[in-house]
Amino acid sequence: MAKKTYLQALNEALAQEMERDPNVFILGEDVGRFGGCFGVTQGLFDRFGEERVMDTPITESVIVGAAAGAAASGLRPVAELMFVDFIGVALDQLFNQAVKMRYMFGGKAKVPMVLRMPQGAGIGAAAQHSQSLEAWFMHIPGLKVAIPSSPADAKGMLISAIRDDNPVVFLEHKLLYGVEGDVPEESYTVEFGKADIKREGTDVTVVATSKMVYSALEAAETLAKDGISIEVVDPRSLLPLDTETILNSVRKTHALVIAHEAVGFAGPGAEIAAQVAEKAFDYLDAPITRVAAPFCPVPFSPPLEQAFIPGADEIVKAVRALR
Amino acid sequence: MSHDKEIMVKMYTTMNKIRMFESMLQEYFAAGKIPGFVHLYLGEEAVAVGACACLTDRDSITSTHRGHGHLIAKGGDLKLMMAEIFGKSTGYCKGKGGSMHIADVDLGILGANGIVGGGGPLATGAALAAKYRKTQDVTVCFFGDGASNQGTTQESLNLASAWKLPVVFVNENNGYGISCPQCKSMAVTDIADRAAAYDMPGVVVDGNDVLAVHEAVGEAVKRARRGEGPTLIECKTYRWRGHFEGDACTYRCVEELNEWMAKDPIPRFEEKLVESGLVTAAELEGIKAAVKKELDAALEFAQSSPLPELSALLEDVYA
Amino acid sequence: MSLAAIVANPASGKDIRRLVAHGSVFDNQEKVRMVRRLLLGLERAGVERVLYMPEGYGIVPRALNAIRPDMAVEALEMPVRNSQEDSIRAAEIMETLGVGIVVVLGGDGTSRAVCKGLTDTPVLPLSTGTNNVFPYMLEATVAGLAAGLVATGAVERETACVRSTALEILVDGEVADLALVDAAVYEDVFVASRAVWDMSKVSKLCLTRCRPDSIGLSAVGGQVELIRPEESRGLALELGPDAAERVVAAIAPGLFEEVGILRREIMEPGVLYPVGHSPCLVALDGEREVSVRRGSEAAIRLTVDGPWVVDVGRVMEAARTRRIFVR
Repeated sequence: MAKKTYLQALNEALAQEMERDPNVFILGEDVGRFGGCFGVTQGLFDRFGEERVMDTPITESVIVGAAAGAAASGLRPVAELMFVDFIGVALDQLFNQAVKMRYMFGGKAKVPMVLRMPQGAGIGAAAQHSQSLEAWFMHIPGLKVAIPSSPADAKGMLISAIRDDNPVVFLEHKLLYGVEGDVPEESYTVEFGKADIKREGTDVTVVATSKMVYSALEAAETLAKDGISIEVVDPRSLLPLDTETILNSVRKTHALVIAHEAVGFAGPGAEIAAQVAEKAFDYLDAPITRVAAPFCPVPFSPPLEQAFIPGADEIVKAVRALR
Repeated sequence: MSHDKEIMVKMYTTMNKIRMFESMLQEYFAAGKIPGFVHLYLGEEAVAVGACACLTDRDSITSTHRGHGHLIAKGGDLKLMMAEIFGKSTGYCKGKGGSMHIADVDLGILGANGIVGGGGPLATGAALAAKYRKTQDVTVCFFGDGASNQGTTQESLNLASAWKLPVVFVNENNGYGISCPQCKSMAVTDIADRAAAYDMPGVVVDGNDVLAVHEAVGEAVKRARRGEGPTLIECKTYRWRGHFEGDACTYRCVEELNEWMAKDPIPRFEEKLVESGLVTAAELEGIKAAVKKELDAALEFAQSSPLPELSALLEDVYA
Repeated sequence: MSLAAIVANPASGKDIRRLVAHGSVFDNQEKVRMVRRLLLGLERAGVERVLYMPEGYGIVPRALNAIRPDMAVEALEMPVRNSQEDSIRAAEIMETLGVGIVVVLGGDGTSRAVCKGLTDTPVLPLSTGTNNVFPYMLEATVAGLAAGLVATGAVERETACVRSTALEILVDGEVADLALVDAAVYEDVFVASRAVWDMSKVSKLCLTRCRPDSIGLSAVGGQVELIRPEESRGLALELGPDAAERVVAAIAPGLFEEVGILRREIMEPGVLYPVGHSPCLVALDGEREVSVRRGSEAAIRLTVDGPWVVDVGRVMEAARTRRIFVR
């Protein structure tokens, strides 16, 4: 199987879906000849033309709203915001318009749109270009939220997202774009709501998302040397959330650490912890622990930013503290 | 503008449908029979009717919180609308949307909208879809004077013009954003002036003259179908009722209301229709009686329909 | 005391001809800037007091936000209805108060309204509208100077002005309205969006003036006759598709129509030219305006008692020969 980067995997997913379905098109800022802020749409403009790869003005509300309007009219737009942080400008069009149409209209509308947004800290982009906002989106009934960690998941989930009849928020950690992995050549889908056990283990379950999956795997290596066996569960989509896989893992390991880059307070881990506490409390031998960013905006200066971003060391520490 | 009798009669009929529908809501809301709240379109009928008479079922509209008129004018089913407003399971949205969220995607009604300025980007997207598919379909975006100050509206005007999208922005300037008069919320008197900033035609018409609206929107729709891009049409009008039913309207004077009620679009049109010889006064009376019957049937349907089953609560969250 | 007046219409320049033709959107901010320059011209010419028509937008008050001319600038006390009636009413009051000149900012429609309110006060119409046959496309600074010289009496009315002809519209024997440039019989009963661009509906056209270089309905006559506004004659045309004589004319900005002229005759003052049938509309200066109801009889008549209109070139030439601005 060919090695591809996360970015190439996304690009391939877009190209294959556009090839397959003429209703799929891309819109966003600098997604055309420029190839997207991080290069995800590279080459698609030349291949599919400006009619299907549309450079918009800097107008996030209309990027999201026009995608919703076009989707409600039968197309399958894939919109890109340069950074997830910009969703604030466009949030109404997402959560009040695109997402609510179906329910409000009594099930008589479908809005098959994908909103791709890079997120995450680590490139010195500071507080308005580095956040991890998945918890916001998880709170919205009617939306689906993808947060793949591996290149293979990224491709399969993006294809699923494009074919989904619901609005999907697709969150890509910008530091994952260069990560390589095995990616099948052909088109395939990865189902939403199906967690993936990225490493099997027996002693502690670590539920990790996005870039923190890699930190969890690194922590698992370190802990393995001490004879501690970690199971790394990657939910891959937070909405729907595969609680069953998480619960099964916890029933086996009796311990849970949740790791994400979003700030801890009211972050995605809060929901996961609550689900486990509600449904598998009796299986827990220790309190649930969260490894997450501290409760502050993302700082700029490199040492501060590094101090903000949780990593493998924190996971190792959290696991050790359980035992 | 063609003087096709069929179109003229249809416009007259629809204006009366809206008038009677809204008057009925006024009465039943006051009697406590309707849950939530309603924003009535009384007095503004000429705008929705004049504009929608230029459209086919393939064309789309986006509406507003004051949307009943737009929906009726675009062909919305009175029974389903009435039932929805009464919160019944037989309504357009199975009772889940209510007054502010009625839609009929098959008729190109992309929904009333509870967010002021929410419709612009959606209309832009629907127009984008038409252009993408190379159809001749047009989207009309209804929005108020209040919405004209929202960034979403301005962004939509910009993109629609930059991409020459087939959308007609029909501004219903009724002078007030809830209680705030236009002079306090914007420095311009004519919202149509803003068209110049986006290099599109901006036109002011008498929004209480259904034929003026019809003629202007008709030209704009033709322009959009030709691929020449969007138009902004400002219709000067007035809402007879408060922002919502129950609004005491302390922010405006009764003289102003009376002045506008004297410009009631229905008798104005009626007089012209008879004058033109297209229809007789007796025919118009007949139309009104037929509309009344239709409305009575819609009301009966809504009142006799069941409320939603609680099991419906979690249905239709996802496709 | 030298007294000038301003009627600036915030609603001009926004009709459907932006859509069906290629008219400019003349925004009110531009009118504010024009009034600013106009006021500075009036001040420099020695005007001591300026009255203006109040309106919803506040063109003149906004103009004063950026300048402080050494003269009183006051709004008329009158109700604001934001309709054409305001301009008529303002003009009447201005004449009663003895203003020496009324400067109008608007299109043909606004000028028409103001002239309906005046009997012998001169007007200086500046174009901010769509079809600009009556008002001038002119720099407001110079217009202010010329208007000021008329208001102060430095250049007397007879030198400064020409008396233009006008058209009276009679319905059942009564004068119902007035047109400055053109009156068109329009085969319809619906005023709708007012402007005239569908020439197939115009069966008759009466003109007070015509030149080959004008725009609007009078451009039709302008291709076959030359009549100056002050000449005591007009032109009546019968139009129809089957005419031998066909004229290409710019009937609106960027919009050309080929119009067939079935018959044309010179209009003599005082002679009635019947509209021909009813119901119909009579469009005045390019806008559907007068409804002629079924059974009514309507006619159009040329009058030599039209408005006194300032000729800015003549005023400024008088200023030059009289060395008014030479120190």
